[in-house]
Amino acid sequence: MRKPIPPAKPKKSQYGIDPNLLKKRMAELPGITSVTVKELFPDTPDVIYPSEAGKEAIREATIKSLENVDMSMIKPENSVNICASHHGFTLLGGEAYTEMLKTVRDEIIRRTGCRNVRLRAGVGMRLRETEEYIKAFKLDEYFEGKAKGVAPIDKGIPIETEIGTLYGLNAIYDADFVVHCHNSDVREVHFHRQVDRAVKPFGMSYARAETRSTYHQNLGPRGANFTARAIFNSEFVQKKFAFATFLNMSPAGVVGVVSDNDLYKLNEKLTFDGLKYYGKIITLFGQLSDCIVGLDFPCPVPYVFASGVIYANFVSANVDLFNLESLAPYTWYTESFYGKDGKPLIPEIPPVNPKIKMVIHNYAWSGYPSAFFSTHTPTIVVGREQADLMSRCPMNAKYMDHAVIADTLDAAMEFAYKVTGTDKVLIFDGAAGGINVSESLAKEMLEKAPIVAEKVDNELMPIWLKQRGIDPLALAK
Amino acid sequence: MRRVSLLAKVDLDTCIGCKTCERVCPTLTIKVKDRKAVVDEQRCTGCGGCEQRCPVFAIKLVERDDPYTIEFKIVPEMKDKVDELCRKAKFHPEQIICYCTETRAEEVAAAVLAGNDTPEKISAATGIRTGCKIECVQPILRILNAAGITPEKPEGYQWYGLTPTLWDINEDVKKRYSDGGFRFDDDIEVFEKVINAKK
Repeated sequence: MRKPIPPAKPKKSQYGIDPNLLKKRMAELPGITSVTVKELFPDTPDVIYPSEAGKEAIREATIKSLENVDMSMIKPENSVNICASHHGFTLLGGEAYTEMLKTVRDEIIRRTGCRNVRLRAGVGMRLRETEEYIKAFKLDEYFEGKAKGVAPIDKGIPIETEIGTLYGLNAIYDADFVVHCHNSDVREVHFHRQVDRAVKPFGMSYARAETRSTYHQNLGPRGANFTARAIFNSEFVQKKFAFATFLNMSPAGVVGVVSDNDLYKLNEKLTFDGLKYYGKIITLFGQLSDCIVGLDFPCPVPYVFASGVIYANFVSANVDLFNLESLAPYTWYTESFYGKDGKPLIPEIPPVNPKIKMVIHNYAWSGYPSAFFSTHTPTIVVGREQADLMSRCPMNAKYMDHAVIADTLDAAMEFAYKVTGTDKVLIFDGAAGGINVSESLAKEMLEKAPIVAEKVDNELMPIWLKQRGIDPLALAK
Repeated sequence: MRRVSLLAKVDLDTCIGCKTCERVCPTLTIKVKDRKAVVDEQRCTGCGGCEQRCPVFAIKLVERDDPYTIEFKIVPEMKDKVDELCRKAKFHPEQIICYCTETRAEEVAAAVLAGNDTPEKISAATGIRTGCKIECVQPILRILNAAGITPEKPEGYQWYGLTPTLWDINEDVKKRYSDGGFRFDDDIEVFEKVINAKK
């Protein structure tokens, strides 16, 4: 039995419990082993990070990716905002994304002579989250005092689009040029459905509350993805957009860094890569039998990671999330479609993944409305402090209405094994390059992976690409 | 419905009177007077907007001595009008429109029909938009709009304006992006089924 992969370290944050209160990680439980992504899917591409080269590999790849990018529009007297998002800092400890941001800055200065290069880092709902990352990674010093966390309730700016007025954040667009720096992991595929993944931050991290509300309330579970495209296509943004640089991610880590002046060209490549790299692991998750899920990562409940996939994807894995015909079991739209009796208003709303028999919330943050998860799956929160943290959160007043508390992780697991009758455990703890699971689940995953791989390659991938108007042959050219 | 157990407390020695807190408060319960922020403790919902955006960390959230619940009760006589207003705004009355507080469209519609004519008054009356303060601003504006109300805009950044819905996207846009996977008409169909669901 292989040893578990070391889980991601806890982080000191106002949104989580004090790391000292985390007494035991789920990977330390008896009977936990690990499976690498490469073992499951041998065609998984090699990664440049994590690797022995460390963050230097990211610097080198970023510089190389920028070689063919035109920066001639940026003059020494101009100002440039490097626009970032909180998600990148949660990948593999955050060092890779940080290094990419630093390198983009250095290359802009070296190639254009422009020194007024600022960092503008957007957030989700934890409005100080990127402020914490800026401090932890000393980005304010690196950007010579010009690094700033921006939030959707900050001062806005109207942007005229082909569907009407939407609103961006003033601090994102208060420079002559903007450079879009992001990552390609599929992450919120339940929301974006791998449609315009690379464009999404223009309607989210860089956007005001009105625009984000448009995405999550006005334009529908699939139509919503047009929000970002509408903003990006606007004359206002087009005048400022210089280029984009992305960490190209796979479930095993960073495959490379890609840059382009043409965001749609980049978008097409990253959409294809995302389907290819993540399609198999997410489809495999949907094939697993009854299990206990462990949340053990420094992020809010839906964003904890296992093999590069977030828990919210597992909640919806009983449906093919990449197939645009279907609705996802979890999105804010589907959440909104549950009536007062706790049942969906229409039968088309699929249930959350019925294979999740119990959830052990060993370590996960507040700062995201998560009551849907504890309402739909039996949940045990480890430690009174963590339960209090959730109850204090203005977004989670009802989370503990549906969860119970265990004093220790061992007590929680003992209860979970007894009640569910399964010994299969799947842990979302950010283990790099693989996944920590019980021995029984490792066996099941290894048995099912080749069948899933064949199905994805031969049956699902052609459907997914066609639905997005992507011709793989044209892309290859 | 929103349970309120926290309260914003200002450290007057640290406060610089910059008004950021005032500009983001969804219920207009924090105001700068004589260059210092003052909280209306009775009405503060403890949403944390001011605490999260204060540039000098002068605001903390503390436990209230007197926790309370915000809920706008729908009187039975109003039910038909409430349902009508919800559907006019393209919502099912039971549809959840605030994911943090689980506020449903009918509660907001009832509050509007009772005379709450701005998002700030509606937040104070129902608790909506006192969690993340991000995702539910459009449903509030849509319900006000359906009621024929153009709300008075506050001086801060609480909200800027109504934005498009699926029904506003014209055929030309739909046609031009038809191969992009946006599925506008499929989503309209889903929405229409929800809006007209019998419950």
